[in-house]
Amino acid sequence: MQQFLQQLVNGVVLGATYGLIALGYTMVYGIIQLINFAHGEIFMVGAFAGLAMYSYVLPESMQGNPFIVLPLVILAAVIVSVTVALLVERYGYRPLRRAPRLAPLITAIGVSIFLQELVRLFYPGARSQVSFPRIIEGPNLELGGVTIARTSLFLLVVALALMVALQTFIRTSRTGKAMRATSQDADTARLMGINTDRIIVLTFALGAALAAVAGVMQGMRFVSIDFRIGFLGGVKAFTAAVLGGIGNITGAMLGGFVLGIVEAMTTQYLLGSAYKDVAAFVVLIAVLVFRPQGLLGERVAVRA
Amino acid sequence: MIVSRVATSTSERLQATFTRPVRLAVGGAGSLLVVAGCLLPWATFFFGFPGKVTLAGFPGGSRLYPLLLVAVAPLLLVAVEGRRRAGLAAAWGVFGITAFNIAAIGFGRDLPLGLLEERGGGGLGAVAIGAWLALAGGALLIAAFASLPSSDEERPFRPGLPAALELLTIALSLGLILFAVVIALEVDETSRFISLIAFATAAGMTLARLNVFAYVTELFDRHRTVTLAAAAIAAVVFPFTQGGNAYWIRVFASIGVFAAAAIGLNVVVGLAGLLDLGYIAFFGVGAYVGALFAGAARTTVHVKLPFLVVVVMGAVIAAIFGVIIGAPTLRLRGDYLAIVTLGFGEIFRILAFNFDWLTRGPNGISGVPDLAIGSYNFGATNEVLGFSLPGFANYYFVELILLAAIILAFTRLNDSRIGRAWIAIREDETAAAAMGINTYRLKMLAFGIGAFMAGAAGTVNAHVTTQVSPDSYGFLESILLLAAVVLGGMGTIGGALLGSAALFIVPEKLRSFQDKRLLLFGIALIVIIRFRPEGIVANRRRKAELHDADPSTGDASGAPPGAPVVGAVAQ
Repeated sequence: MQQFLQQLVNGVVLGATYGLIALGYTMVYGIIQLINFAHGEIFMVGAFAGLAMYSYVLPESMQGNPFIVLPLVILAAVIVSVTVALLVERYGYRPLRRAPRLAPLITAIGVSIFLQELVRLFYPGARSQVSFPRIIEGPNLELGGVTIARTSLFLLVVALALMVALQTFIRTSRTGKAMRATSQDADTARLMGINTDRIIVLTFALGAALAAVAGVMQGMRFVSIDFRIGFLGGVKAFTAAVLGGIGNITGAMLGGFVLGIVEAMTTQYLLGSAYKDVAAFVVLIAVLVFRPQGLLGERVAVRA
Repeated sequence: MIVSRVATSTSERLQATFTRPVRLAVGGAGSLLVVAGCLLPWATFFFGFPGKVTLAGFPGGSRLYPLLLVAVAPLLLVAVEGRRRAGLAAAWGVFGITAFNIAAIGFGRDLPLGLLEERGGGGLGAVAIGAWLALAGGALLIAAFASLPSSDEERPFRPGLPAALELLTIALSLGLILFAVVIALEVDETSRFISLIAFATAAGMTLARLNVFAYVTELFDRHRTVTLAAAAIAAVVFPFTQGGNAYWIRVFASIGVFAAAAIGLNVVVGLAGLLDLGYIAFFGVGAYVGALFAGAARTTVHVKLPFLVVVVMGAVIAAIFGVIIGAPTLRLRGDYLAIVTLGFGEIFRILAFNFDWLTRGPNGISGVPDLAIGSYNFGATNEVLGFSLPGFANYYFVELILLAAIILAFTRLNDSRIGRAWIAIREDETAAAAMGINTYRLKMLAFGIGAFMAGAAGTVNAHVTTQVSPDSYGFLESILLLAAVVLGGMGTIGGALLGSAALFIVPEKLRSFQDKRLLLFGIALIVIIRFRPEGIVANRRRKAELHDADPSTGDASGAPPGAPVVGAVAQ
């Protein structure tokens, strides 16, 4: 039982990361029906940008103080990730907006490979794993026999806060309304005076910022990152988005948590760690077979 | 973007000031300068830099390319109007190649990213007069062609040759393609290879803009049997010309396997429009079946079956996997398929890693024996009509038969009711369904056939490489295959063949880029989709569709990145 609870907690924490990345997939998909394959790499780039801030910009005297370090590291990650995402949108995807569906997907793959290689070749030491600072030090917390690292707790809190903030933003703000309008019908939205290009850019930026935060968190939790984390992270987050119902914001978070828990549980009880990545794909295929609209999706997937 | 805008306005000003005599004078002077420059040395002193750049009077190395390009320039200038874009392509080619070589001679070693290996350096002082002359000549040519009026009417290229000459043209074109491939294979140094690629691009664009390609393609279409027969004969004769040397035969056999798989993928992606990102897994399934049942030294299945049975078995098993993957996902929109196939590809790799009892995990199955049909061993050297054929030639022929079978299947499918249905689905699935096409069943069929072809190619590949291990079937390999299809041209045979050859040869040649090759590959994918989404060999229908909304931009620096963007936004 204790083990079960422990795995549950692990799964939830893992799921929070997936959820944060999944939001980017789901928002972009909701607005321009594009699977932004390169989103996983945005997450990876964010992690490396945060690390660069920590190792190369911050003076050593400050490195011990999480109240200074953490905001700065996250800020650097967000700035770099958002910049990269916007460049990709502007020069990669936007010219192809009217092209056949395959075209942007292939561009996305190209961007993905390009970003991975860029980091691998030009970030010092990134050819293999790079160690990441824990930043939040201190002993693990114990609660009824369940251990949770301080970093994980922090991650959970931040992720939930961001998700609530995003949800509120989209539900209540004027811009959020414009985003919803664009996702429902971009042409009509434009007729109503919404600058859809700006909305699309904003969507990419928001997704990238969330992914950057997730990247830093992932680094702090596993104390190491490498240029490949974007691929698996991206595919799993996408699975989470599909699981929750792609295009649905709440769904993406829910999907993230469910996927995290499923992965933790199957690793513990069913398949063992050699197959831990298989679980996500099996879930993905199962969802597509039995409930293609996802857990919260209302529309049945469009056939086109 | 800014650069091309300036260029456009400059060319407008040029058009206003350059009258015909001025233009001819400038163009003529440019041509002469290029010729003179190419005959003079390009480097003052160099031991290291390849291509005899210090010799006078003999256009060695990269100096040959501008010379060849400039040969068409006077012709185009005098034949005037309507040839602006073609001339600009050639002129920019001259300028670009020269500029690149100047950079390579002057700063080779210090170029950013360490792009050029070992040689070059010593600054601009090391660049000799010839290179500067050629550069200036190139610039003059650009100005001369830019000053032509930009009313670029499409003038078809129709020489109206007698039938016999048309056949000769076909033979010559095929010969030229082969020759180009052989030359590309022979060039060793990176800087020369890059010059060659630049030359091929410029020459290709010039010819394409003169509509020569359209004419040749039309000839190929009109004399299809002849073309096919000529290509087949060339392919069969090739090993006999190698004098018992296996190297090129081996290279072409490897390209053959790759191409066979690429054509299979082309059914899925090019015809039916389904993006499959885990296609290599089917190839891998075939390869494992091929290795396990061929009596490999390290097999775990101690059953040895005849090769022909194994090929069919590998193909069928791969197709079964295809149906298992396809059944749930093909009901949904295409994007899901991309992710699921990607996931399946990963699962395949993970399973191959972990199913030790069957696949021997990371070690893979090694020691796959030579093929044997009956008592005939494929590893043996043969004497045919006095020619010595290395053992590898046998695989080459097997490859050829496989390739021929797959090409035949592809064309027959493409021309059939099924092929038309696939294309309809690719273009608009909803409309296709409304026309009474059972989209789900046909997509399954495409997926299954693609997997079948990959499986067959995989079983043969197990014998060619003699070893099968999970690492050869990862995501990147899938992407390489996809790139071969996209780059070459979706939905065409020629495209898949050309794409496979290019993707096989170019990385081999860019060895000095070492681990930057993948980076370049990523960039290439992005750029090609952006500027030539229909690929090198364009399917006519697809090209029309892709360039529908794209106003043709008369600038040789490629379509200016700004223009279509603005167009897309404005729509």
